[in-house]
Amino acid sequence: MNKICKFFLKVFAIVFVANAALFAVFFFDLDGKLLFNVVEPFLKKHYDDMDRKDTLKTPYNIDEFPKYDYHS
Amino acid sequence: MAKKSVTKALKDFWYGKPHTAAEGGRRLGDLHEDKTHLYKHREWRGVKDTMYYFYNIWLYNYIFMVKDIMVMHGPITFAKGLWRYRWVGQTYLPVLHWFDRGLEGMRGEAMRASAWHYRAMVSTTIRQFQRMFAADTRLHGGRQNELYKRTIAHNETVWGGVFYPWDGEIQNVPLEMIPYFVTCHVNSHTVLNYIDAVQSIGLPGDPCPMCQAESGIFVLDDVPDYAPAVITCNEACDASVSTSTLQDWFFDKPLFSLPMPMLFDDPLVKKYVMREIEELWKFVEDQYGIPFSWEKLTKKLELQNELQRFEWEKWEVAAKSDYYPINGVAQALYRIYQTQYGDWEIWHVTDKKVRKILEKCVSKKINSFPQTRHRVIAWSCAPLYYSNWCTWAYNCWGLNVIINMDSLMFDMEIRTDSYEHTLEDMAQYHMWAPMRRMAVGGMHHMFELWDYMKRFNCDMVAMYDQLQCKGVQGLHGLFEDEFRKRDIKAFWIPHALPDSRTVSRAEIRRLINDYMSTVMHEEPLDPSLLDFDDSMTW
Repeated sequence: MNKICKFFLKVFAIVFVANAALFAVFFFDLDGKLLFNVVEPFLKKHYDDMDRKDTLKTPYNIDEFPKYDYHS
Repeated sequence: MAKKSVTKALKDFWYGKPHTAAEGGRRLGDLHEDKTHLYKHREWRGVKDTMYYFYNIWLYNYIFMVKDIMVMHGPITFAKGLWRYRWVGQTYLPVLHWFDRGLEGMRGEAMRASAWHYRAMVSTTIRQFQRMFAADTRLHGGRQNELYKRTIAHNETVWGGVFYPWDGEIQNVPLEMIPYFVTCHVNSHTVLNYIDAVQSIGLPGDPCPMCQAESGIFVLDDVPDYAPAVITCNEACDASVSTSTLQDWFFDKPLFSLPMPMLFDDPLVKKYVMREIEELWKFVEDQYGIPFSWEKLTKKLELQNELQRFEWEKWEVAAKSDYYPINGVAQALYRIYQTQYGDWEIWHVTDKKVRKILEKCVSKKINSFPQTRHRVIAWSCAPLYYSNWCTWAYNCWGLNVIINMDSLMFDMEIRTDSYEHTLEDMAQYHMWAPMRRMAVGGMHHMFELWDYMKRFNCDMVAMYDQLQCKGVQGLHGLFEDEFRKRDIKAFWIPHALPDSRTVSRAEIRRLINDYMSTVMHEEPLDPSLLDFDDSMTW
């Protein structure tokens, strides 16, 4: 009985602390602050530094595909 | 005295602070940091609504975003896409802050119903980009997998309904809806990369920035290669024709162009569009080798008609009572997303939840916007980077946007009793595409405003002015004349659709503030929202 009580108390404590921590993240907008100040600048730098294909060198092979003529 | 202030503090804690300055108001403007507009702390809406927002909106949506990603092709697919494409990484991570902007100051049923609309849009967005990534040859070493062979790409203004005959066999994913359109609402910074990219190759900066951005995604090589064929469209504007040409060049795939005729109130033109839709169907059959299914088409159209019928019920409540629980931005975005993307399960799930809230509001006579001073109809195309201006306008001035042009575009059911009727109505639906009917669709449709104003019992017009849309600019003066002649209260909102640099959010607020104080001689409900710096915000 004592063991069961302790187990439930532990579960309750964990749930309570997790809820309180999540509520703090929510209320003080810690998710927004992290995304704005850390995640987004990091990702932007990554995208800015990325090697990209020069799309202007894509040949414009307009005649390569068959003529779509469905008019009967 | 002390007892009084303790009682007020307890009351504010339990119910949330009252809206207006006169009642010792909540001063929403003070919650934000300067420039970034991040919250110093999120809003306390009273115990019940704060807990609802925390558990049922913030936490619920974070959990279900993860769940959607797990169920729809998994986290590895998402991580690969996130690492490869700017528009997903830079845009969609702060999605809960898009909720915050749209739902700021909302309480009770308005907060609940509007949030369900946002949830549906998030889920549909995840569905689309996950399908793009799962089928993308760039993320699979150039391999064309089974999903690639069963996906079709199309312009975002091609209504998803034209692909209903292949429901369950071919998945249609619009090219620009997720990499461009939705990004502007969630994080307005992302799109600027694409606008600048297209100008960097020598194209002029004065055409519609939407067309520029849609081309710029290709210039920056930021489009997944997820389908063997593509359907383009002129989006009823000449700049978009150029977008299609660039897409044809850069995508380099079998392409079918489904035009929107510039003249459309004409039975002969309708016949032409009907034939174009049939040709599109033949193109899909040829490219994918899967036959057209009339049964699938009518089944999906019936489901879409169900959505339309509920929309009409919503409009009835919005038009004839004060018990409509959906705010202006949720109404507009959900409706345009749903009608353009086409039928999908999540819309039905959402409508079921919203119906419950709507019925509760009507039966218990709950006014979700009790500080309404003016019932506003918003007309023409909205600024994508500030679609939540109406949330601000209600909080600051009591301007309640009841309905908007985007919602009213597809005001029709589609008949399924015969092939001819179905095709005729589908052609009509296609011709009433976004930016078509009421934006560049000629004076008759532009001026439907007066009828809708009456029908929705509105006393004020918020008139959008897309500065780089050559089609609508010509009608500016005509509207001015009509507003004067009809003695209609109206204010203009100039903007450049996705580009927040042309007319800033602060400038839009200043114009509305000026109108409300100098013309209407009204005092703001919440003075802390009159002037603030959010120049760096998402």
